[in-house]
Amino acid sequence: MHWYQWIASGAVAICLIVFATHFVRLIRLGSPKDYSKKAGSPAAGIVYSFTSAMDPRNKESAFLHLPIYTAGIIFHIATFASLITFFILLANFQPGPSFQIAAALIAFSGSLAGLIILIKRSLDKKLRWLSNPDDYISNLLVTIFQLFTGLTLLLPVLYPAYMLLAALLFLYMPVGKLKHIIYFFAARYHLGLFYGWRNVWPLRKA
Amino acid sequence: MEKITDDKIRAGLEVLKNLHDSKLLTQLNSCVHCGLCAESCLYYLTTKEAKMIPANKVDMVASIYRRYFTLTGKIAPGLVNARELNDKTIDELTDLLFGSCTMCGRCVKHCSIGVDIEYVIRTGREMLASMGYVPESLQATVDAALESGNNMAISDEDFLDTLEWMEEELQDELNDPKAVIPLNQHGKKVLYTLNPREPKFFPLSISAMAKIFHAAKESWTLSTKMYDITNYAYFSGNPEHSRIIAQRMYDEMQNLGAEKLVLAECGHGARANRWEGPNYIKKAFPETITSVELIAAYFKEGRLKADSNLTEGVVTLHDPCNLVRGGGIVHEQRYILKQVAKDFVEMTPHGTDNFCCGGGGGQLAMDYNDRRMQIAEIKAEQIRKTGAGIVVTPCHNCVDQLSQINYTYKLNVQIKTIAEIVADALILE
Ligand code: SF4
Ligand code: SF4
Repeated sequence: MHWYQWIASGAVAICLIVFATHFVRLIRLGSPKDYSKKAGSPAAGIVYSFTSAMDPRNKESAFLHLPIYTAGIIFHIATFASLITFFILLANFQPGPSFQIAAALIAFSGSLAGLIILIKRSLDKKLRWLSNPDDYISNLLVTIFQLFTGLTLLLPVLYPAYMLLAALLFLYMPVGKLKHIIYFFAARYHLGLFYGWRNVWPLRKA
Repeated sequence: MEKITDDKIRAGLEVLKNLHDSKLLTQLNSCVHCGLCAESCLYYLTTKEAKMIPANKVDMVASIYRRYFTLTGKIAPGLVNARELNDKTIDELTDLLFGSCTMCGRCVKHCSIGVDIEYVIRTGREMLASMGYVPESLQATVDAALESGNNMAISDEDFLDTLEWMEEELQDELNDPKAVIPLNQHGKKVLYTLNPREPKFFPLSISAMAKIFHAAKESWTLSTKMYDITNYAYFSGNPEHSRIIAQRMYDEMQNLGAEKLVLAECGHGARANRWEGPNYIKKAFPETITSVELIAAYFKEGRLKADSNLTEGVVTLHDPCNLVRGGGIVHEQRYILKQVAKDFVEMTPHGTDNFCCGGGGGQLAMDYNDRRMQIAEIKAEQIRKTGAGIVVTPCHNCVDQLSQINYTYKLNVQIKTIAEIVADALILE
């Protein structure tokens, strides 16, 4: 392993340890105890929360904002794809040319989507008002990470720079909003539990 | 407003520090500031002010959490906008969490992540309550309930007079001296409750429900000691006050030994007793259902019959947030309306997507009246577009706000509760 791979691996380890701490804390704190008489199925509510409730047709945040919502979906899919690609490259696996092209295309689409989201955040008055520096930094870091994932697949000479960039991203992840990689799942769990208990979810058409 | 002190800061932060489970921690760390919840909130839609975005209300609380409970917030507060708890923050918190949210939960359902925004706002109100910053008029409503047993401080004498008067009305209408409003009777099947707005402003809804009980041959009673379904401490954010009020309802159920508690038409009262009450007193309530569920069951069991020709004109339905989005009672009121009205039309949107009337979250008990009427524009337009002449809603709080909307926006509609529209269409055998 080269020194830059060691740095990247160290950053990944730190990030995972911090995230594991968050995760263990959530598990330890546990679910709320509800003394009211259950009307529905919490399990069905949780499943619904992760499935139909996420259907763009059921969420105004999606269907009222389709272009930016689509950009967000592409951005997130590409982030996960880029993370997988990063680990493959970190482990010195040599992916085949078709994987390289496909992964690069996904990563480039993600970085384009990330750029669009960043521009929207900078230009939209209400979003600018809502945003803090971490919102811009997180968006920018992930966007550049995706861009470099794609570029490194095509231009291996960028590999050391890519590893250092990834290290920076992993070290930054636990600092700000990128923590939602864990809390997103916890939030949807709680919402499903809450609405499932009260028989609001799964939703039956009114 | 009284200046903040170290003791107050400590009390406020204690609310964020005392994590009972993982829910609060999750909500405080989940929002990604995408801003996509803006258009789900009637405050943002009608004011177009960025500060009204639900995410900003969440961030008011989360930013304080970041400042005092996260490493980043302590070391680099500017990076994550971590805010100090000071007089300026208190002013903003009060205006946004009390004055700019009806706790309708509409944004929660539509949030891209699934943040329970309403829960965070309720937590923020709890912080403000622990520091002594509950708006005076809202606190006065809670105090009235604590001191007199009902939030409108109706005296026993006035209450009994009203019930007597309603009983006479009922007997005259039915021409039946056996049609009564039973009081404080033990061992009945149903202990019925009221929203104090009923004896105070809308007594006919009491006789309407009594007529329904009479027609269904129900074994029921009202309590004169504890009939108030509301629990405004849920809105003020004081857990001890919430507990005292919930405990009284529980004790009265035990005292009268009724089989089930039936909650009058009041969205927040239904929530406060059916869902939150047991958690305030850390004990399950005996069977508790809403009158909407009960009336629907009467129709299904054949205990009630109605003639839909007796309801003239187009009828539409407003969904009280706490009953529908927060309580899962969506279909029962629609089923009932189909029994009593020929021409029923839905608002757009409706059901769990319906907009708040603007009077929830304690707004009717606070002094943000201009803003309350401004946000009501959405409900006024929803009603206007249905072309309905009658707006039905199973909530006395909503009735109050809808009546003010009716007047302000010149809608020229009648506002009725479920019990009222049912009572008018009943076929009595
Ligand atoms: S939609 Fe949800 S995650 Fe996005 S800004 Fe609003 S509260 Fe935050
Ligand atoms: S709960 Fe209702 S009023 Fe409050 S922020 Fe959400 S949508 Fe707006």
